[in-house]
Amino acid sequence: MIPIDVAAYPTEITGIIGIWVGLAIMLMIYSYPMYKETIAFRLAEHTFVATVMAITIVVNIDSLLRTSLVHLFTGEQLYLIIPIILGFAMYALIFPDYRWISRYPIAILVGSSLGLGMAASMVPSIVSQVISTATAPTTGAAIDWFNFAFIAIGTLCAVSYFLLTYEHKGIVKGPTQLGRYFIMIGLGAYFGNTVLFRFAMLSGRALFFLQVLKIVPM
Amino acid sequence: MSSGILGKITNIDRRILYWILFVVLAVPFISPIGLPVFVTPTSQAMYNSLNSLKKGDVVVLGINFGVSAWSECLPGSIACVKMVVRKEAKLIVFGMGTTDVAITWNEIMSKIPAFGAGTYKEGDDYAFFGFLPIQETTINLMATNFRQVFTKDTKGHLTDDIPMMKNFNGAKDCKLVLSSDTGDVGDYFIRYWQVPFKVAVGWIGIAMNASTGMTYIRSGNLVGLLSGVRGGAEMEKLIGEPGSATTNMDSISTSHLLVVIAVIIANVAYLATRRKA
Amino acid sequence: MSQIYRKQLVFVLTAIVAIIMVMSYFFTYEGITPITNQIQTWALIIQLIAIGIGAISLIRVHYRTIQRRVPGRWFLSAWLLIFFPLLTLIGLVNLATGTMNPFYDWVFTNVYVQGGQTMYAITGFYIFSAAYRAFRARTWDAALLLIAGCIVMLTNAPIGEVIWSGFPVIGTWLLNYGQVPAMRTFLITAALGLIAFGFRALLGKEMGFYGGGME
Repeated sequence: MIPIDVAAYPTEITGIIGIWVGLAIMLMIYSYPMYKETIAFRLAEHTFVATVMAITIVVNIDSLLRTSLVHLFTGEQLYLIIPIILGFAMYALIFPDYRWISRYPIAILVGSSLGLGMAASMVPSIVSQVISTATAPTTGAAIDWFNFAFIAIGTLCAVSYFLLTYEHKGIVKGPTQLGRYFIMIGLGAYFGNTVLFRFAMLSGRALFFLQVLKIVPM
Repeated sequence: MSSGILGKITNIDRRILYWILFVVLAVPFISPIGLPVFVTPTSQAMYNSLNSLKKGDVVVLGINFGVSAWSECLPGSIACVKMVVRKEAKLIVFGMGTTDVAITWNEIMSKIPAFGAGTYKEGDDYAFFGFLPIQETTINLMATNFRQVFTKDTKGHLTDDIPMMKNFNGAKDCKLVLSSDTGDVGDYFIRYWQVPFKVAVGWIGIAMNASTGMTYIRSGNLVGLLSGVRGGAEMEKLIGEPGSATTNMDSISTSHLLVVIAVIIANVAYLATRRKA
Repeated sequence: MSQIYRKQLVFVLTAIVAIIMVMSYFFTYEGITPITNQIQTWALIIQLIAIGIGAISLIRVHYRTIQRRVPGRWFLSAWLLIFFPLLTLIGLVNLATGTMNPFYDWVFTNVYVQGGQTMYAITGFYIFSAAYRAFRARTWDAALLLIAGCIVMLTNAPIGEVIWSGFPVIGTWLLNYGQVPAMRTFLITAALGLIAFGFRALLGKEMGFYGGGME
């Protein structure tokens, strides 16, 4: 890759045209929310989709060559021709009458991810969480005990809200209602973090806009 | 206030909101405020883990975010790699899930003088293996047989021939994993590297990972967590080298204040309208 | 007979692969490791090759748009169908020759990178308009959500500490402890759901991911 020092305003003509094209694409895309859907937006959208697809295909082929086809071509692992055939068998999805052929490679994909996921998620996602919820603090500080009680009661109530799928009345009404409040607190915190995430990316765009126009240094 | 004005406030054209937001985001770059950033316990824990590295320890850096998330994950990644270089630990770099690993790694290297000066050398101090598009099964495979996944680095050198890779073939040989991603990959490193092999895992994630990752912090599966640009700014403060995250925090301040004010105004107007009705 | 190789054999294959993967996680039997390594390598290769399906779908959709001469869109689809294969071809020539074409690199840096950052960041606008126009404290639940959200926002932003020194204290507690019950619940219930879903898939009750015609 030709190194383009993005830390400084480009001096060569291709670099300058490049950042202005980048700015133009940004403005064309943002014309949709900030003005209305225009042909400029659609042009930028189509160009971007074409670029992403092309680059994804090239990178995937590169990965395939580097990781597996090299073993095939050197004769080390000739049986790798089988997954290659299975990979092409996936294209049977396109033909309705032969769609069943694609189920075999999908079976391998689904089986491997499901098997791994089922087994591997048990310890960190269930066992560790339950142990952590039930483990009392070793220090005597009041705040530690408060946090422990908060998390323990909150987790129990919130889990009961999800897992008790029958109508929440009678003895379970109180804990499930309380669980709902704990969930709302968690979702509120999640929303606050989501705002940070989205605005961090948007501020990057605002900075790029100012840098290309040389209002702030690049 | 009349309901006409209240109605107008609550039903303002969203395009006006977007323009206001963009201006509020842009102005602090022109006229910086320079508000200080306080360090959260999870970022401090990440710093402590990096600070405890010794010369020659192997750190694995998973770059699993695209250029679209550079604002969030890149500053934290740069700051962590600076610490790794400072501690003279070894670095193995690869990426999954996005095609932008090479450009992101180039960007990280361009910000750290030791790479350009040649004092932190490829092959001896770090190895870059590029991109693979698959995540969960590959991370599991790498934990026990790294060479099965990456037979060569991006320059075509066989993994066996890279000096720093001689004693490395999986999780057992790794001191610390830094997973820089926008979602699930940190989970995969916890499942397949931390739980079976007890490797320390630190997560350099987007801001939402501050929520999902916190459960792993509490259960001891993660040693540290940098959440988004905020985490990056905290890490830059801890290592004493302010960077792009610190610059962005003023813009974050003004925009967040705008959102809070907007939510308050909208709800006050709503409650006032409801009371009138 | 055709049902056996179109349905039952598929379920059997899924179950065998899944059981091998589960066993490899819980048992350290030496003979199983090469098998699981190969399964995962095969899964990797299949997924790498399958990306072409996305490209074929893209071409089909846009070709149909051109055929129907959809006003305002057909010429853009034509542009896409010219640009996409051209760029792919240049990229493949790069791979074959080992050199980087300047045009490909230029497009990567200035179209792909900038376009990607812009597309991702566009959601920032929508979240702001959603916060202003849709988030109303209609019930106590919603009020709790909004209050927690505002406190966390003022914790994440350095200006919060300037407004009131209590925001970072409460916000940090919310992030470190307050949200943990909810997030832990999502993690536990999602894992339980995955295990339940996995068992259903092993028993052949889940057919959604095999494509149509499995009922």
